[in-house]
Amino acid sequence: MRPVAISADTSEESRELCRKANLTFPLLSDRKAEVIRSYDLLVPGAGEDNRDISGIAAFLLDSSGTVRWRHFSETTGERFLEAAQKLN
Amino acid sequence: MSDKLWNWRLWAGFGLSLAALAGYSFIVVSTGALSVFWPSLFLFVVAAVFLISGLARGRREPQLYRSKAAGPVLAILSLVFFTLFGIAGYKVFKNFPAANNAPKIGQRAPGFTLGDSGGKNVSLAELLSTPITDSAGATRATKGVLVVFYRGYW
Repeated sequence: MRPVAISADTSEESRELCRKANLTFPLLSDRKAEVIRSYDLLVPGAGEDNRDISGIAAFLLDSSGTVRWRHFSETTGERFLEAAQKLN
Repeated sequence: MSDKLWNWRLWAGFGLSLAALAGYSFIVVSTGALSVFWPSLFLFVVAAVFLISGLARGRREPQLYRSKAAGPVLAILSLVFFTLFGIAGYKVFKNFPAANNAPKIGQRAPGFTLGDSGGKNVSLAELLSTPITDSAGATRATKGVLVVFYRGYW
């Protein structure tokens, strides 16, 4: 199973987060929120400086790219990142 | 005074609206299940029916039911609960996507090609087809990909 995380952050911001939280999976940068829009997860103006950001969601895809499980939450991702930052 | 009947409809309405607000807040905060908004709204509607019929009963037969003081107080408190629920619901809807058109179970997820934190382009097709190398150095096909969307880092 291969994890990948997507946000509207820039590559620089993702690099910072990757370094701080010691993440080993890729953080992809969707600056124009095109992919976020195509998954219907856009939250307009909710980020820093009224940036458009992504809502929190997870999709488990099988090897053909079909969704097998999905989850939406406003809290899970933050809790996960919090937990990940505490790991050493 | 004490031989008057208890106007239970008022209390049922009050209790239901309190339960609706508390249940909504608790479930949204603990599980993030935003759709609990609709059952909560339904509970408030039922609460309103009880409250209105309780108030009407108290007005119609004031000599029979004890509700002169409690009635308006319970009704106003319930209205306060409903207002809080409305504000919370609005904030949740404004900040979190309804995601009605998000890919559903059984549907093919939309493909993408995005830059990773090193600026290298990564596509979903690539993630699905590139074999995984485990810690022992053996490679095998990936069973799938977990795509996580997050709000960002700031």
